[in-house]
Amino acid sequence: MISTHNPIKNTVAFAGAATTGLFPKNTERSQTSYAVEACISVLRQCGLGPDDVDGVCGSFPMAQRMQETLGLTSVTWFANPHIPFINQVAAATAAVSAGLCQVALVYHGAYRLPWNTSAALRDPFRAADASIPTGPPNPDTVAGAIGYTAWASRYLHEYGVTKEDFGLIAINDRSNAATNPTAAMREPITMDDYLSARMVRWPLCLLDMDIAVDGADAFVITTAERARDLALPPVLINAVTLGMTARNSEDQIDGLRHHGQQVVIEALRAKSDFWIDGADIFFPYDGFTPIALNWIENVGYCGPGEAGDFMRQHWDPATNSVRVNGRVPFNPHGGSLSEGATQGSGHVREAVHQLQGLAGDRQVAGARTALLTPGGFFFNAQGLTLVSA
Amino acid sequence: MISDADLIDRFRGHMLSRDNAAHFRGRLDHQLLIDRCAECGVWHHPPAPACPACWSMSITPTAVSGTGTIHLVIFLHQHAPIPGFDDAMPYPVVTVELDEQPGLRFTGTMVGAANDDVVIGRRVRLDWIDRDGEPVPAFRLAEVAA
Ligand SMILES: [Zn+2]
Repeated sequence: MISTHNPIKNTVAFAGAATTGLFPKNTERSQTSYAVEACISVLRQCGLGPDDVDGVCGSFPMAQRMQETLGLTSVTWFANPHIPFINQVAAATAAVSAGLCQVALVYHGAYRLPWNTSAALRDPFRAADASIPTGPPNPDTVAGAIGYTAWASRYLHEYGVTKEDFGLIAINDRSNAATNPTAAMREPITMDDYLSARMVRWPLCLLDMDIAVDGADAFVITTAERARDLALPPVLINAVTLGMTARNSEDQIDGLRHHGQQVVIEALRAKSDFWIDGADIFFPYDGFTPIALNWIENVGYCGPGEAGDFMRQHWDPATNSVRVNGRVPFNPHGGSLSEGATQGSGHVREAVHQLQGLAGDRQVAGARTALLTPGGFFFNAQGLTLVSA
Repeated sequence: MISDADLIDRFRGHMLSRDNAAHFRGRLDHQLLIDRCAECGVWHHPPAPACPACWSMSITPTAVSGTGTIHLVIFLHQHAPIPGFDDAMPYPVVTVELDEQPGLRFTGTMVGAANDDVVIGRRVRLDWIDRDGEPVPAFRLAEVAA
């Protein structure tokens, strides 16, 4: 039973968003260092000091470490929900709305670790940081991120499409990243580049998978009323939701037509004041290319298996990217595939900047609404709608 | 019966718990035990202490026939080194929909099949391989009826 009740609508806001930039290499800095830099940056931009923050909510590092590092004087609420990043946004929104805190510092530290790139093991600090496995890794599984590769095979099988449909997501993202100075990868790619990229786990190749990066994003979430008194234009949270189905293990979900995304869409659509016809920007999560195809279909732009054709119909040759009806871009910052793997914090930061009018060379003219669908299929599908104040 | 400590030691690459120990004990006897509800008969996987269909906590790990149909397939083109691992790449991993119940699936590798024959929709049966002393459930293409 999905509730359409949404008492938080437009009462809680992003007051600011900041990033350190994202770097696709083992830098000689800690994850905490990046997260702290992003937090200091966003607090300074908002004109907030250590006495003003009473809520702390992040992925990594732990909230208590962040409070102590920044010397936040009195914190009344803190949490470290699991990624992807809308978990942090949803928790902080609820906490602000309920009065557990008024000004929440919300952050995600992205970091190259052995689970997302084996090259991280070349850095002794990263190798030491990894939890020590008790035995050899098990190859006979689709658990974890590999699950998306498994359902990619099912996508090709059920819908009779080719890998070129996946490639459109990669090309769109890379074209958009060209105008994003913080993106990890900014060289445009062609379909030939995509089709000849190194296979990692068939049917997905290197360009189907997001890029492990060092860097961080940070945000201030507060009441809409308080945000109006701060330095930057507020961006209101219209609705936020997570989504799971009864069977959510990677190899047990009902199928492509029934997983976490469908729950997110039903709830988010019911709670939001606008949908795709009223969205100025769409952010389909793209940790793996087929996740984005599924989101495009599930939000209602087209039917199951039709996302590739939809993108071809709305392809803008001038920018070599999607512009729905000549207007609405998908992941204008380059997404996780090109900007870097941020667990969605990059998508949220870009949406906030776009709706504040602070997106630089890639500013979408007159953008006032954004539809975000971070996360995947299993226990991590999420949705967020944002509007300019 | 092998002790809990020895069982955990035999399956060091897996996260063993009191909820899945019976499943792994079954592997030592080449039996694929899947949790089944003693009240309503519904199967579930991975192992869990309650039935998602009726909330009974009377769960019996029960051997399945091992026959089913390939539902998902991937080929690993790279993998971290594992003792006893046949590192011939691309290495197939299949999720098999078991005949016992629609949507009940088990994931493992394929043996004795050319990768071109490992495709969604093919019928398979359970087999066992040995990896550095660990019995590992795997699948083979089912014999085609004459
Ligand atoms: Zn039952």
